[in-house]
Amino acid sequence: MIRCIISMTLLFALLVFASCQTDYDVAEVAPSEHLDVEHPAGPEQAEDETCEECDSEHSIDEQVEDSHAGHNHAQGSRNHGTQWFFNQPWAAPFIWGKLFRDAAIFLVLAVAVFIISGRKRRK
Amino acid sequence: MADTHPIQVVNLRKHFPRKRGLGSVKAISDISFNVEQGEIVGFIGHNGAGKTTTIKCILGLLKPSEGRITLWGNSPAESKVRNKIGYVPENPDYDDSFSPMEYLSMFADMRGLSGMGSDWLKLLKRVGLSKWETTGIRQFSKGMRQRLSLALALQSNPELLIMDEPTGGLDPIARKEFREIIIEENKRGASIFLSSHILSDVETICDRAVILAGGKLMAEGSMAQLLGEENLYRITVLSRKTGEEIEETIPEADLQSRIDHLRRDNLQITRVEMALKSLEDVFIDATAGDSK
Amino acid sequence: MKAVFTFSLMTLRMLFRRRTIWGILLVILLALAAIASVPSFDVSNQGRFILDFGLFGIELGALLLALGLAANLYPRDKETRTLMPLIAVPLSRWQYLLGRFFGAALVQAAALLVTCLGLMLILLFHKLPIPGDLLPATVLIIVEGWFLLSTVFFFSFSTSPPLNWPLTTMLFVVSQMSVVEFVNILPSAPGLMRAVRMLLPHADVFHIKDPIAHGFEIEPVYFFIAIFYGLCYSAFMLSLALAVFRGRDLK
Repeated sequence: MIRCIISMTLLFALLVFASCQTDYDVAEVAPSEHLDVEHPAGPEQAEDETCEECDSEHSIDEQVEDSHAGHNHAQGSRNHGTQWFFNQPWAAPFIWGKLFRDAAIFLVLAVAVFIISGRKRRK
Repeated sequence: MADTHPIQVVNLRKHFPRKRGLGSVKAISDISFNVEQGEIVGFIGHNGAGKTTTIKCILGLLKPSEGRITLWGNSPAESKVRNKIGYVPENPDYDDSFSPMEYLSMFADMRGLSGMGSDWLKLLKRVGLSKWETTGIRQFSKGMRQRLSLALALQSNPELLIMDEPTGGLDPIARKEFREIIIEENKRGASIFLSSHILSDVETICDRAVILAGGKLMAEGSMAQLLGEENLYRITVLSRKTGEEIEETIPEADLQSRIDHLRRDNLQITRVEMALKSLEDVFIDATAGDSK
Repeated sequence: MKAVFTFSLMTLRMLFRRRTIWGILLVILLALAAIASVPSFDVSNQGRFILDFGLFGIELGALLLALGLAANLYPRDKETRTLMPLIAVPLSRWQYLLGRFFGAALVQAAALLVTCLGLMLILLFHKLPIPGDLLPATVLIIVEGWFLLSTVFFFSFSTSPPLNWPLTTMLFVVSQMSVVEFVNILPSAPGLMRAVRMLLPHADVFHIKDPIAHGFEIEPVYFFIAIFYGLCYSAFMLSLALAVFRGRDLK
């Protein structure tokens, strides 16, 4: 029965999350005016491209922003979830909203699982 | 009216699933019994009879497959019920980096008891650990760990003391001390549920006994009921064919007629004596054919 | 809650008396010292290098500490039968779980703060500036460590100890991946992978080593939100662990 409760909880969480529009890859949900026209797929795809000169993996954006900084990554650019937060101030609300939404859902689920498993045990 | 039985077990069944989900093993089959207020009840059975399983169900450590267990009419999971219980587990063990005093202080805090260090020193003295209060438990023998276990169980002046083989592995003097403490606690008003292999202990201190074999209840009753209220006599007769002595145990009511019958058959009666029935006899009779 | 508090202190004392914590702490500090001894091209690069890899080392330390401290707590309690006297009378199962968790979490936090102090000393030794956000960044790693700890507790109730290490480490690695990276593991089922990734934790929110290494200013609100997220996820993992524990027969 406990397994059933956990499965139901996970399924519920899965459904809730799957129905949400935004996620941590801000590039997927960002308004078009904020995205680089040449790299519409966003930073994840851009990161996969390789600099021919040095044969190392860093983004085209980095080369533009940090072309004089040798092999250093752009500020915060290696953090997948937080890069937009630090590099694109307009994207911060997306991250905040996402974090708050997730935190609230996990908190509600935690309380629900605690109460349900406790009731089941007392029976 | 509120249920006042410290322990009430009704149609308890417990089976454990086999590995890989291939059926289940029956540990307890439909047993029912009560422990009344102020009683000392002995719980006896051979190894694997289901005593520890029953006790763990009573304490909420195992979930019954079927049936109902209540402590003073409440579920064992209720905290108000658990606060009234003292438990001495079978082969107790404790984190060996602590001392008995540390354990008693921490358990007191966890139970919300108001006792102080001096109270716990008295308690340790009572169970025979007075010189060991600050010694690490890693240096303790099995018997000393059992004494600590008893101290922890007595700490809250429990209304119900559940003891699972508390005197197993103890020397005779320690066993006597344990028995005396159990009787003192009972006089204080505590009900005692004592699981034990040592039938002489059970016979000496218990008001009632519950006998378990193969997960089934084989006998239950007061000591007088189990040992028999009727006097028994043992007649020893000399066999005419082999010359060997043959013993026969019969109730007092049939004694005279049996002697007359033996005399008519010209059999030589060598001895007539009172046969005292022990709990061991009762246990062997009750569990005959179901010892393993 | 007094029972939980007392049991946490008992756990804390027990863990400090074991050698595990001191061994792991020594390994992390030695690793930090090794990072600091790697030669670099110039002072500014060296500072970035030490901060970047130092914080990464502390993060790996959080994983090691979570596993080293907690993976064996419940199995050991069960095996040595110390669990029975505790669970039978003074503690309920949720009190046992929270007591053990808080005790281990405090020890882990103390150890991580010591490593943060070690990193500061290394920076001072190299006459490099100590960023103001280094301590908050360590706090974020501590929260990540608590999330890992709750994961270790969950696996310790639902699997065997030898499986706990690889499963927790796997979750740690997966939780660092972006959605796109995760979907690329199984590109034929993008919907499923996306949904699963959404349910898995986003541990990348705890990583601010790059912004710190590059001297980026981080708004305090970011720390609060990330900490809140980490605590809520830990609570969720603990509730799952409790549900499993409550369903367990303690033979």
